[in-house]
Amino acid sequence: MAESFMLSGPVLVFFAYLSGRRRLTAIGWSYAVAIWVSLWAIASLVRVWPTLATGHITPIIIAITNVIAASSAWDSRLWLREHPHVQPYRYYLWWSLFWASLIGIAGAHNLGLAWLMVEFSTLTSGALIIEVGDRQALEAAWKYILIASVGLILGLIGIVFLYASLKYQNIGWSTLNYTNLHANFYRIAPIVRTVATLFVVCGFGTKAGLVPFHTWLPDAHSKAPSPVSGLLSGVLLGLALFTVRRFVAAVPTARGVWMSGDHLLTAFGTLSVVVGSLALFVQRDIKRLLAYSSVEQIGLIAIALGIGTPASVTVALLQFALHGVIKSGLFYGAGHLSIQYQTNRLNKITGLLTRSPGLAIAWALGVLALAGLPPLGLAYSEWLIFRQLWQHHAYLVVAVAALSLTLTFAALTYHLIRTLWQDIDADPAAAEFGQEVG
Amino acid sequence: MNDLGLLLLVSAMALLWSRNMQYAVWFLATQGAVLSIMVWTSTPLTPISALVAVATLGVKGVLIPGLIHRIMRTWPARFRQDYPLPLWAYGLAAGLVLSVGHVIHLLGPTALIQNALLFFYALSSIHLGFVMIVARRHLLSQLVSLVAIENALVVLAVSVAGSLPTFVELGMLIDVGIAATLMVWMSHRIHHELKTTDVIALRRLRG
Repeated sequence: MAESFMLSGPVLVFFAYLSGRRRLTAIGWSYAVAIWVSLWAIASLVRVWPTLATGHITPIIIAITNVIAASSAWDSRLWLREHPHVQPYRYYLWWSLFWASLIGIAGAHNLGLAWLMVEFSTLTSGALIIEVGDRQALEAAWKYILIASVGLILGLIGIVFLYASLKYQNIGWSTLNYTNLHANFYRIAPIVRTVATLFVVCGFGTKAGLVPFHTWLPDAHSKAPSPVSGLLSGVLLGLALFTVRRFVAAVPTARGVWMSGDHLLTAFGTLSVVVGSLALFVQRDIKRLLAYSSVEQIGLIAIALGIGTPASVTVALLQFALHGVIKSGLFYGAGHLSIQYQTNRLNKITGLLTRSPGLAIAWALGVLALAGLPPLGLAYSEWLIFRQLWQHHAYLVVAVAALSLTLTFAALTYHLIRTLWQDIDADPAAAEFGQEVG
Repeated sequence: MNDLGLLLLVSAMALLWSRNMQYAVWFLATQGAVLSIMVWTSTPLTPISALVAVATLGVKGVLIPGLIHRIMRTWPARFRQDYPLPLWAYGLAAGLVLSVGHVIHLLGPTALIQNALLFFYALSSIHLGFVMIVARRHLLSQLVSLVAIENALVVLAVSVAGSLPTFVELGMLIDVGIAATLMVWMSHRIHHELKTTDVIALRRLRG
C-alpha cells in the first residue's frame, strides 16, 4: 500500500503535465517538478526511518530512488537550459514515467509486476535518449531497447515456467508474489527451478548490465541526457539486481546445483568487475568512462548479493546507495563539463583546476570516491564486501576482485590527473582548442 | 489449438525466409490474428478474456503491422527489401528447431508441459525469432522479430499454463505497443538521417 502511495508521486507529475502544460513556462515546470520530487524524497526518507531497524529493504530502496530522482530533477533544470533544442514538455513526460517505473521496480512484491516495470523503464528511458536527437543517441537508443527487450524476454520465459508450475493454485497473478513463490518453491520441479533461475538471472542481468549482457550499457548511459544517465547508472542497474536477489531468495535451487542463483550472480559479478575495470583504461569519452565504471560497480554489488546472507545483502544495499549518490553526481558533472569544454573527449577535458577550481574539487572528490579511496564512502562498503567474501572462503573471488579494484583505482586516478592538471599548452591542438573556447 | 500453433510456426518460418518487408507485415498481422483467436479460445470466455483477445488483435494484428506498413510506404522501394539471409542462419535455425525435441524430452518428467506439440511450435518460433534478430539486417526486420518472439512466448505460455495472468498479458501488450511505436519512429529517423535501413550502419559507438 505504501509503495502504491509512493507511485502516486510520478503519476501526479504525469497527469499534471498532461492537464496543465500550457499554464506554466518550461522554467516554471522545471522548478515545479524539482520541488515536487524533492518533497517526495523527503517523505520517503521520513518513512524509511522507523523501518531501518526492521531490516526491510524495500522502503530503503524506494528512498534511495527518490533521493537520486530529486537530484536528477534539479539537474534536469540546468541540463535543459544547456540543451535548448530538447523539448522540455516531452522530456518531463518521459522523465515522470521513468521515475514511476523505478519506484514500481523498487516496490514490486510480484515477479510479474517487476518484469513489466523493468521493461517499462527500458522504454521510458529509451525515449529520453531519443529526445537528445542526434545520430549517436538514436543508435544508442536502438541498441538499448532491442538488446534489453530481448534479454527481458528470456527472463519472461523463466517467469512463465514458474507460473505454469504453480498454476494449479488458481490464484491468478498472485502466484508470482515472492511470498507465494517462497512458500511453494519446493513444489516446483528442481530442473524447472534451475532453468527458470538461469533465464531470470540472464534476463534481468541484461538490464543490470552484467557482463556478458552489458553491450548496450556504455552506449545508452553515455548518450542519455546526463540527469537520466545518473538515474540509469545510479538507480536502475541496482534495482534490476535487487529484483534478481528477491527472486533467488524466493526460489532457491536444489542443494548442490552448480547453476544456482547465487553462483550465477557471483560468476557474472566477478566477470563484470574484471571487464569493467580493464575497460576503464582505454576510454576516450568521459561518460563512457563512467558507464564502464558502473559495469564494475554493479559487478561488486552482484558479488555481494551472490553471497546470499542477510549481512551481505545489507552490504550490497550500502554499496548500491553510495554508488548511486556518487555516480549520479559524477554523471551530472560530466554533462556540465562536456558543455563547458564543448566535447566529451577525455583528452580535451584538461586543466580543469585552473579553469574552474570549484568544479575541479567536486569532480576530484567524486572520482576518488568512485576509485575507492578511504575515507570516502565506497572504500568502506567495498571493504565490507571483501570481509564478507573472506568469511565465506571465496578466496579466488577476493583475489580477482582485489586485483580489478587496484586496476580501477589506477585507471580512474590516471584520467583524473589528466583532467585536473595536464598542461594543454604541451599539446598544440589542445591549446588551440582552449583559446577558441576561452 | 494445435492448428493455430502450426500457423504461428509457419508464419515465423515465412518471416525468417522472406526478404520483402511488405510480406513481413502481413505475416506479422497473421500472427496477431492467430494469437487473438488463441487467447479467445484457450480459456472459458469472460469479459476479461474477451478484452485481452480484442486488445491483442488491436495491438499485434492491426497497430504494429499498420505502423510498419505506414512508415515503409513513405520509403523508396529499395528500402523495403532486406538483405539475403546468410547460409549459417539456415543451419542455425534448423539446429535450434531440432533441439526443441530434446528440451521437451528433458522437461517431460516434470509435467510442466500441457501440450507438447504446441510447446514445440512455440519454442521453435522463439528460436526462429532469435535467429532472425541476429541474421537479418533491416531495421524493421529486427522490430518484426522482436514482436514475433513475443508472440511465440504467449503461445509458449498457453502450452504450459493455459494462459498468462491477465495483468501480465495486458501489461505486455502495452509494453510491446510502446516499444514498437518508438522503434518505428526511430527507424524513420535513422532512415532520414543515414539514408539507410541497414543495422550495420549503427556502428559509430564502440569501445
